[in-house]
Amino acid sequence: VAAVNSIHHPTWGQLARRAQFAAAVFPAMLAVASNLSAQVPQTTEYQVKAAYLANFPRFVEWPNKVAKSESFNICVLGQDPFGVALDAAVAGETINRIPVAARRISRPQDALDCRVLFISSSEDNQWKEILAALKTSNVLTVSDMREFARRGGIVQFILDGNRVRFAVNLAATGPPGLKLSSELLKLAVPIGKTP
Amino acid sequence: MLKSRNYSIKTKLKLMNMLISGVTLLLACIGFGVYELITFRATLVRTLSIQAQIVGANNASALLFNDAKSAENTLSALKAAPMILSGGIYTRAGDPLAMYWRGAGGHTLPLPQMPAGQTEEHWFVGKELILIRSIVFQGKLIGTVYIRSDLQEMYDRLMRYAGIVAVVLSLSLMAAFLLSTMLQRAATQAILQLAETARIVSRKKDYSVRVPTTGTADEVGLLIESFNEMLTQIQKRDAALQTSQEQLEQRVAQRTAELDSTNKELEAFTYSVAHDLRAPLRHIQGFANMLMESLGPQLESDAKKYLHHIAEGTQQMGRLIDDLLSLARVGRQEPSLQMTGLNSLVQEVLRDLKNETEGRDIDWQVGDLPFVECDPGLMKQVFYNLLSNAAKYSRPRNPAVIAIGQVSVKGQLVNFVRDNGVGFNMKYAHKLFGVFQRLHRKEDFEGTGVGLATVQRIIHKHGGRIWAEAEIDKGATFFFSLASRNN
Repeated sequence: VAAVNSIHHPTWGQLARRAQFAAAVFPAMLAVASNLSAQVPQTTEYQVKAAYLANFPRFVEWPNKVAKSESFNICVLGQDPFGVALDAAVAGETINRIPVAARRISRPQDALDCRVLFISSSEDNQWKEILAALKTSNVLTVSDMREFARRGGIVQFILDGNRVRFAVNLAATGPPGLKLSSELLKLAVPIGKTP
Repeated sequence: MLKSRNYSIKTKLKLMNMLISGVTLLLACIGFGVYELITFRATLVRTLSIQAQIVGANNASALLFNDAKSAENTLSALKAAPMILSGGIYTRAGDPLAMYWRGAGGHTLPLPQMPAGQTEEHWFVGKELILIRSIVFQGKLIGTVYIRSDLQEMYDRLMRYAGIVAVVLSLSLMAAFLLSTMLQRAATQAILQLAETARIVSRKKDYSVRVPTTGTADEVGLLIESFNEMLTQIQKRDAALQTSQEQLEQRVAQRTAELDSTNKELEAFTYSVAHDLRAPLRHIQGFANMLMESLGPQLESDAKKYLHHIAEGTQQMGRLIDDLLSLARVGRQEPSLQMTGLNSLVQEVLRDLKNETEGRDIDWQVGDLPFVECDPGLMKQVFYNLLSNAAKYSRPRNPAVIAIGQVSVKGQLVNFVRDNGVGFNMKYAHKLFGVFQRLHRKEDFEGTGVGLATVQRIIHKHGGRIWAEAEIDKGATFFFSLASRNN
């Protein structure tokens, strides 16, 4: 692009601009064309969910009483469906300059230094205990369990065709709990439509 | 352009003013136009950039959670900006997430590549402005906004501007024309007046006119002052010249009058002297004759010889007196002019000369002479003198050849009398027509020295001129012209 630009005389503003534009557009067209022909590695459901987990905190405001910690922990309770996908999603990420870390925990009590807690479907049978244990904590609870949001969880992953979407239970954030950004809420599926 | 050099200074000034104001205005308008264009483009880019930033900020979550519908909703807010033709949200990888088209939908546009290290770039392509801006959320690049805007508004504005410029320019030129027409008078009136005055002066030679002074101390005022000063000097010099000429004429007239009176006195004196000399001469002649008749036979041969000398002397003196009287008469009387054939005069003279030339071999060659207006008596005297002189001075020749005729000298017809006689030295030609001036010895050729003086006076009386050309022993030619109306 630079080489093409330098050929054109600078006073030929319009022409140079056009050439610049063409030079900028062509690689993009080539990229689109190559995307169509080449085999793109398919993104898995849990890769997407892992990315969402890493992005949710960006639209959430925690109350001030939450102590500052050395790492911003995103925890998985129960059987881990992500594998390396979650570690890959948080690698090198920071939120408010705090490095993000992925943790696996087995007991709800261990979730107290987690900011985001993903409750695996494996814990379906004891969701009541878990939510009760976290009631006074300021943890963003996320799960893909059925009726999770309706039952008192905050964010519930929903599959809309092959797209991953989510529902939000604002009541579950409870005072003086978490503040969820309108940006996030506008993307949320209404709870009434959740499975 | 060549013609414009001959335009009046008025027109030139007007043209100059119009040209200056026109060019200045045009340049100013072009400058403003370019500034306007640049400013408008910059404003357009800024506006588009702000829109892209808003769209980007509102699409951060949609990009992060891959929500095309939400992104499309947000993008559709671009409807509010009528000049935006299309827009798009692209993921970080460059894949389109959502598109917006004003009017009917189009195909997905490929995203231009963002130059390295930049978060925004724009291109003017034809009648469109394309702008891309990186969407950065919490310090992280998450996608790109693409906005394509119509430049029609800019072109409309430019056209409007051009229209305003045309109107302003024509109005200004009209104003400049009116103003320069009014104002140039102040500058040119004085010059025009100067030019007009100069024309009058050179045409009428009237140096009494003056250019009205402007009262200003500029170059034109100075020029007018100098011009008037110059006229004054010329006028003065003219007057002085006139005065001196009048004085000169007066003096010439005075001198002429003096000369005339002196001449008249001299003529009167000559006439009276000659006349008075006649009586005593007749006495001498009469008594000498009586002495000869009464005492002739008794006188000795010596005494007879003396008496003979006295008779000859008195005869000579009588001729002299006659000639002098004739000369004086020519001076006193005005010629009475009448049309006369010169050939008949010559014939008369030749008859009169018959006695004098008795026994001589003379070849008279008389050519064609003109009819002229002259006093026939005086003119006959001219021919008599010239022909008898020719006969006298050609006496040593046998045969003598005497030609009378007309010849053209320097375009003027003149009469001539030519002989092949003894001629004379041209050195003394100026003495030829003086009274009592003789170029030959009395012993060789008799004469009184008054004849040619009389001839010259007659020719002058007729407004003509007489001169002679000769060479010793080769003959002489006398030329004379009469007043030019005769020839």
